[in-house]
Amino acid sequence: MQPHGGPPQKIAMPGVKNVVAVASGKGGVGKSTVATNLALALQSLGRRVGLLDADIYGPSIPIMMGVHEIFDPNTAQFPLDRYGLKLMSMGFLVKPETAMIWRGPMIHKYLTMFLTQINWGDLDYLVIDLPPGTGDAQLTLTQTAPLSGAVIVTTPQDVSLIDARKGLEMFKQVRVPVLGIVENMSYFLGADNKRYEIFGHGGGQKLAKEAGVGFLGEIPIDPRIAECGDQGDPIVHKHPDSPIAKTYLNLATIVSAEIGKVGAAAAELPTLNL
Amino acid sequence: MAAAALRPVALKKDGDDKLIIEWNDGHRSEYHWTHLRANCPCAGCREEHLQPPDPFRILKPSELAPLKPMRIEPVGYYAYKIVWSDGHDSGLFTLEHLRELCQCPECSKK
Repeated sequence: MQPHGGPPQKIAMPGVKNVVAVASGKGGVGKSTVATNLALALQSLGRRVGLLDADIYGPSIPIMMGVHEIFDPNTAQFPLDRYGLKLMSMGFLVKPETAMIWRGPMIHKYLTMFLTQINWGDLDYLVIDLPPGTGDAQLTLTQTAPLSGAVIVTTPQDVSLIDARKGLEMFKQVRVPVLGIVENMSYFLGADNKRYEIFGHGGGQKLAKEAGVGFLGEIPIDPRIAECGDQGDPIVHKHPDSPIAKTYLNLATIVSAEIGKVGAAAAELPTLNL
Repeated sequence: MAAAALRPVALKKDGDDKLIIEWNDGHRSEYHWTHLRANCPCAGCREEHLQPPDPFRILKPSELAPLKPMRIEPVGYYAYKIVWSDGHDSGLFTLEHLRELCQCPECSKK
C-alpha cells in the first residue's frame, strides 16, 4: 500500500492519554453502538472519556446520545457534554437530512479540525467511532491521530468477517495495534433462556485466532439496545444493571488492560532534523 | 500485530548526501538521498518511471538546482515522508519499503 497526499505530522494531544479507534470493515455491524456503549462503560470504570464520531457521511452518535440540535460552529462550545461523555460529531453541525457529498481532502480537513481545534481537555480515553471501510477517514486518523489501538467489531457471519479481515489488514499495514475483536449480535437469549445463534457461531473467535489478536467478547442481541439507541439513551447508561451493560463493562476492562499492554508497540517513530 | 515488528530506532545524517537508519534488529541501513528520490513511491513518480524517457522534456527552474531533502517526517507509525527542496512531498516511504531500498554493502550484494 502506498497511500499518498502529503499528510501532516502526527497531532499531539497532550491531555488525551489514550486514543482508541472502533472500526469494522463492513457497515451495519453495530460499530457506533459498540463505540458509544464502550465509551460509557469506560466512564463507569471511573475514567474521563470522549467520543469522536469520525463518520462524516453518516454520523450516528447524535441520535444515539440524544442530541437533536444543530449548533453554530462560531458560537457553540465543543465538545458537547452528554451523560458525562465529551462528544463531537459532524451531525452537530449539519441537519440529519443533509448529504455530505465530499471527497477525501474535506474529510481530512474536518477530522483534523475535530482532533486539533476542539478542546478535549484531560481525557483518559478518546474513543473514535470510525466509518466502515478502509478509506479517507481511516487514513487520516492512522496518519495523524496518536492512536493507542483499534477495536474491530464484526458480526458472526462470513459476509462481515471478510470485511473485518480487510480492516485488520489495514491496521497491520499502518502499524496500529489491534486490541482485539468484538463479536456483536452474537446470539439472542430467548425467554426460554436458550441461546439462539441467529447469525451463526464462533466467527469472531475464529477471526481473532487467525489474525493472532485477542478476542474481546460476545455481545448478544437485545431489542433494548436498538430501542435505547433510537431514544438517545444508550443501554449502558439507561440499564446499567442489565446483562448487556455488564458485558460492556467487561469489554471496557479488557480494552483498558490491552491498551496497557500495547503501549510500547505503538511508540512513535524516531525523527531527524536535517 | 507482532510486537517485534521491524522498526527504526534511530535516524542519522551521514554528511550531506546520506541517510542512516538503525533498525531494532541491529541492521544499519544507508541510503543516498538521490536513491530515495529516484524510488519515490508517490503515484506521480511511479507513473513517470513507467513512461519511456521524453527527450524533449523541459526542465523546471527548480529541477536545475541540486535536489536536497529539507525535512523527513514520520507518518503515523508506519512510514516517513520526505519534503524535497523542489517542494515535492507526496511520497510516503513505508518502513518495509525503506528496508528494501537499503544500500548498505551487505544489502547491495543481494
